[in-house]
Amino acid sequence: MITTKNIKFSYQKQQEFIFPDLYCEAGSTLLITGDSGKGKTTYLHILGGLLKPKSGSIEIDKQNMLELSEGKLDKFRGKNIGLVLQKSHFISALTVLENLEMASWLATGEKNTTRAKKLLDQLDIVNQANKLPSQLSIGQQQRVSIARALMNEPKVLLADEPTSSLDDKNAEKVIELLTSLSKEYKAALLIVTHDSRIKEKFSNKITLI
Amino acid sequence: MITKLAWKNIWFKPLNTILSVILLTSSVAIITTLILVEKQFEEKFTKNIDGVDLVMGAQGSPLQLILSSVYHVDAPTGNISYDSAKVWMQHPFVEKAIPLAFGDNYRGFKILGTTADYLDKYEAKIVEGKIFEKNFEVVIGSDIAQKLSLKIGDEFFGSHGDAAEGHVHEEYAYKVVGIAAPSGKVVDNLILCTIPSVWQMHADHGHQEAETENPAHGEEGHIHVEGDDHNHHHEVTIDEPGMEITAVLLKFRNKMGIVTWPRIIAQNTKMQVASPALEVNRLFSLFGIGIQALQYLAYGIMLISGISIFIALYNTLKERKNEFALLRVNGAKRIQLTQLVLIESLLLCIVGFIFGTILGRVAILWISSTAEQDFKMSFNPYEFLWEKEGVLFLLTVGVGIVAALLPAIKAYKLNISKTLANA
Repeated sequence: MITTKNIKFSYQKQQEFIFPDLYCEAGSTLLITGDSGKGKTTYLHILGGLLKPKSGSIEIDKQNMLELSEGKLDKFRGKNIGLVLQKSHFISALTVLENLEMASWLATGEKNTTRAKKLLDQLDIVNQANKLPSQLSIGQQQRVSIARALMNEPKVLLADEPTSSLDDKNAEKVIELLTSLSKEYKAALLIVTHDSRIKEKFSNKITLI
Repeated sequence: MITKLAWKNIWFKPLNTILSVILLTSSVAIITTLILVEKQFEEKFTKNIDGVDLVMGAQGSPLQLILSSVYHVDAPTGNISYDSAKVWMQHPFVEKAIPLAFGDNYRGFKILGTTADYLDKYEAKIVEGKIFEKNFEVVIGSDIAQKLSLKIGDEFFGSHGDAAEGHVHEEYAYKVVGIAAPSGKVVDNLILCTIPSVWQMHADHGHQEAETENPAHGEEGHIHVEGDDHNHHHEVTIDEPGMEITAVLLKFRNKMGIVTWPRIIAQNTKMQVASPALEVNRLFSLFGIGIQALQYLAYGIMLISGISIFIALYNTLKERKNEFALLRVNGAKRIQLTQLVLIESLLLCIVGFIFGTILGRVAILWISSTAEQDFKMSFNPYEFLWEKEGVLFLLTVGVGIVAALLPAIKAYKLNISKTLANA
């Protein structure tokens, strides 16, 4: 679960983002919507510990993330936060399976091969495990990044426009996988999106103004 | 794991990698070859002048005198009268004087008239048979015994002068009576016999000819009137008057002689004395220019390979910004990205160094076989000069680190949020 309070952020002095407080239970889903330029991605990066806000607090599993030193934050992020991005990026020199193993090694120091295979199986791409990511279709790549986000059983799963580059069929599938897997692994799922195909499906949402 | 990733990364772009490795390999190979050849060459040259303070011979180029009489790679300067040489050989300053008389060759290997002291000087013991005593008995060097598969008791005819194709002296056959132990010095490639053997082989008329300017052995126009005298096959001895030798290797009891003799001899006789140490130094300084030029070239190539690694890393860094951001998202620390870049560069350098070291030795093997044919000089490719090659290794690693420095810093400073947002 994740709770935020009074988060303020600014790139430059003139413009300041004040983000609404949010709260999301483990296993449930929260949608963050809003027009472009309102700071959706910025908010997501703050929640993921990639950007440091000017003030406020982010509690994940009773730990205020903003109090951590940089090195600890890196570890904390690796262990507790899963990130699914609009466009999936991979380490292109490594195979799908190795990409997943790398994610768990960086966070915990162990290659969790069994878990990687299980996730790939659940996402129906286990037969692609030994291919390079570039050899997969975009829909498959998106599923691999979901698998990677879930590798370390994160407390929070953040998805940044996960469906924007997908067709209807794939988009639906991805959303379904995200929600069902976050329930199964008891992660709070936060989706940043302006995709109307998703908006209809969820009632729990915050709109940035 | 980081190393594994680095390894996979460098082979993901094989062309870049191969270019960098080839450049590194060639520079390391050139430097390794130079280091080894220079060192072994100097070692071989200096080893042979141990125990020779001065060389006495006919007037001419002192370097030629040294090269011919110590290393047997050049033609002799000419002959000197044994009688006048003897005066100096018996001088109280002299600890040991080894006379040398050049005569013929057998299949390109020089037959050298000398005394048993010559073998002692090179610490070449007789491993089989005995030392030469009578005329035309020869002791052969270990390399010759092996290459020409000569055994004790074998007989052969010498050809005149330096060239294997020279006139064959069929009047007298040389007989192998001893084989010397390998010493790693010139003696391994020489056939040694008594000085009177050389005289008798060319037994002529030394008496008259000494006065009529007869060019030296190995030089054009040298006349041998053979067969005239062959009715009286008397054994020529060392006491035969009016004979000539080629050179004398001198070792001094009193080191003053080394300094004063060159002038004294030049002023008082028709001979000269030359210092092998001085002449060899002169030779090295001549070689040195060439070696240095090659070294600069090799360092130039190394610089280029450093630049190539830098460009490769810098370009991939641009392409791989997202990968790096991703690694950070997955929990990688800044320093781990720096490590990744550094390790990639170092892996390239180490691979290049290993290939270069091997290639350098292959080159030496090849140089050695040509030098063996032309100069009877071989190089050992399996020798490792830990100190110099260690420095070379450190230099290579240094190039790797310097080339990776800027990309590594960029990786360290990478702004994850910005990178992911712009992707």
